[in-house]
Amino acid sequence: MSSQTVDYTPEELMAVVISREVRDGETVGVGAVSPIPAAGCILAEQLHAPHITLIILDSAEYYPFPAGSSELHFMAQRGELDLFFLSGIQFDRRGNFNLHVIGDYNAPSVRMAGAYGSAMLYYMAHRVILFRAEHTRRIFVEQVDFVTAAGVTPENVYREGGPALLVTPKAVLTWDKAAGEWVLHSVQPGSSVEDIRQNTGFALRVSPSLRLTPPPTAQELHMLRTVVKEKLTRSYPDFVREKILAG
Amino acid sequence: MGVPFIAVRGLLHSDILKHRPDLLVKENPFNPGEPVVMAQPIRPDVAVFHAVKADRWGNAVTPGHRDDLMMARAARRVIVTAEEIVEAELTRRDAVDDTFLPAIDVDVVAYAPLGAHPCGFGPLYEADDVHCREYLEAAKDAASFQVYLERYIYGVRSQQEYLECVDIATR
Repeated sequence: MSSQTVDYTPEELMAVVISREVRDGETVGVGAVSPIPAAGCILAEQLHAPHITLIILDSAEYYPFPAGSSELHFMAQRGELDLFFLSGIQFDRRGNFNLHVIGDYNAPSVRMAGAYGSAMLYYMAHRVILFRAEHTRRIFVEQVDFVTAAGVTPENVYREGGPALLVTPKAVLTWDKAAGEWVLHSVQPGSSVEDIRQNTGFALRVSPSLRLTPPPTAQELHMLRTVVKEKLTRSYPDFVREKILAG
Repeated sequence: MGVPFIAVRGLLHSDILKHRPDLLVKENPFNPGEPVVMAQPIRPDVAVFHAVKADRWGNAVTPGHRDDLMMARAARRVIVTAEEIVEAELTRRDAVDDTFLPAIDVDVVAYAPLGAHPCGFGPLYEADDVHCREYLEAAKDAASFQVYLERYIYGVRSQQEYLECVDIATR
């Protein structure tokens, strides 16, 4: 483990990493209870992707539709959503994630609110970035207890896209579509391959082009802590107060 | 929409399908060989909406851009509770940044100030976190939840009594 001092929070790092994945001109959707990608997308719009169409559910400023979240879901079903973000309580090597239960479905130790549209969006958004602020063996497991949506589906299943990236405070995994598994692509500042493997409950292949994530730049952090923070405050006051440092 | 079923994308090879008899995998009749999920309509007996304002005819305005109209039409009976009952007839011009529920889709209107409590309500008031925590604690088992219901629901005769019971006057 590195002992270097870092002057940003894990959530800020994840938001910056996510922002770098947003491509200018894309149509990007962010669901409810997703402050980290919301921050990342607004940051991207401020820095290198000024022409994105950004849709943030439950936001006033980033909501272009006259009706509710059905609009975003139908848009994805039409194949018009380039990028979306999902999280979960478990993830496995094969790209499955779990938003439902821990343990047996009928007698679970934990029961979550459920999937909402995730099991459609994971197939119909062109790219999905998964995110989770905790990287431990209780989250990254050999086999999820409940497959909310599948990373791998047979050829005859229609899908516009699927998993692209998985972002945690320790690692960035990329999806190997041919092999149907996650691959370690980038080590976050302060972590290491050893640290990541110790905290991942499945066998993790390391990319031959493995790299260290370039730390957030002064410009990224400044923008995140000023303009982005301001725009995010109305939807996520607690997150902004606790996870985004003073600008 | 009133259709007998609808085809939806995604969901294939999800465990959701193991637990939902209203979602079936069928072959796409227009593309043989392709599996597709068919969903049975949801037809609630009752849908309840809390509105910023409503009128005596049943027109109502709910906060933000929402799918309330779709849900109202799916339900057989629609109840609207409102922060305020206005004298003049509401039109969709009263819901520029909000959602308009027309009287034709509403059956019953009731006056219920702070009716979303303990949840927050759009820009009007924040959630009552203290009460929400009490609810979550009570909801952990049937016995404690029964005590909660006796105290806050069965034990009060009106919205006013409920608000006094949760001590909202001080908030």
